[in-house]
Amino acid sequence: MGGMNIKRLAEDLGATPLYVPAGWEHLEVDSVFASDLISDILVSEGEDQLLLTSLTSAQVVRTAALVGIVAVFLVYRRHAPPELVAAARDQEIPLFCSAITKFEACVRAGRLKDLP
Amino acid sequence: MSEVPLPLDESSLRIQELAYGLKVRDVMTRKIFAVTRQCTMREVQTIMKNNGLTGVPVVDEGHVVGMVSMHDIMNAFEHGHLQDGVAKHMSASVQTLSDEVPMTFAMSAFSRYSYRRFPVVDKKNKLVGMITPRNINMALIRELSRQLNEMEEHGGTSGQGGASTIYHRVYRLDRYDFEHGGDASAALKRELKQRNTSPKIMRRAAIASYELEINIVAHSHGGSFTHFIDGNRVRITANDFGPGIPDVDKAMSEGFSTANDWIRSQGFGAGMGLPNARRVSDEFEIQSGVEMGTMVKSIIYLTEEPQHENK
Repeated sequence: MGGMNIKRLAEDLGATPLYVPAGWEHLEVDSVFASDLISDILVSEGEDQLLLTSLTSAQVVRTAALVGIVAVFLVYRRHAPPELVAAARDQEIPLFCSAITKFEACVRAGRLKDLP
Repeated sequence: MSEVPLPLDESSLRIQELAYGLKVRDVMTRKIFAVTRQCTMREVQTIMKNNGLTGVPVVDEGHVVGMVSMHDIMNAFEHGHLQDGVAKHMSASVQTLSDEVPMTFAMSAFSRYSYRRFPVVDKKNKLVGMITPRNINMALIRELSRQLNEMEEHGGTSGQGGASTIYHRVYRLDRYDFEHGGDASAALKRELKQRNTSPKIMRRAAIASYELEINIVAHSHGGSFTHFIDGNRVRITANDFGPGIPDVDKAMSEGFSTANDWIRSQGFGAGMGLPNARRVSDEFEIQSGVEMGTMVKSIIYLTEEPQHENK
């Protein structure tokens, strides 16, 4: 199973970057974790994951950084509070936002994962 | 000195840290003058006078059933009741302290109640000592000088950089300060990264730290938070000033949460915090006293041992 490229994911999910560090185009993830509970993120076992969430508090990015999440996609959101973007910059975690629903985002990411 | 206020300003964080490392058991007086119900007030007065005491516990088969204070003696004297048995004049509602709790709980108790001494009891609720503000002051001074000596022996540094040096940080955390909640844990992760800690261990330490840090912010009146790293392990201690956890076993079970709607709206409050912190820790200890505070200690070994999950 190959990794999923973040840039490709962003394109497929119609996500716009709110913050990206240099070289982000080459980042890859093994799987996707979708949750609106910080507690769930903290017990997630996987590594090199993408987080799909509709939570917009700065804690999301901090928690993601602690457990080693590669990138955060806000879904069903058109905007993000500046604190969240600042936190992403602080932690150097790519942050995107997409207006599609979490379900739709999961479906599209799932299709991408199944590609050979 | 009838009161030991909890030192809350930044400069005293280190002193607080000293206090958190000590348990009531370590600082109490073990030499106890206790009387039984059969003693008279006059006998108690003699014991107090001969031993310079201002209060004496009344026990029944080792259990504390009352306290006789100087005030009770004076009242009995005034009304000519010194020949009476103590049971008639003692105060029967006695606040005791467990010998296992951190010394800071005793400090909270002294701030909270007007008592100038507390009987200390063991697990079986038997009297094993007495604690006064003087015990606390002496213990703090002793511990301070011990640590000063230690620092001098180590060349007076508390460590900067390098994989084998000591890393010691103390933070003060405020209630509901979600803006800064997590900063300390992020700093811990950075430090571990610099020390080339394995990603798995780093992740476990970061998770334990974050769970405990957020717990103070979300559930307590505020408290202090400490990271200590030496060559072998990471020690994370979270100490708060209350409200305390009425049922620790319940709090340790997955899914139990007392979080309010606002905390939940922040994405917290699934009742996984403490169980998750314990899961990723190699050693885990929790002590809590209602209205006194909670102390949680998590230790993560830095050596590459197979991870044993603490369930």
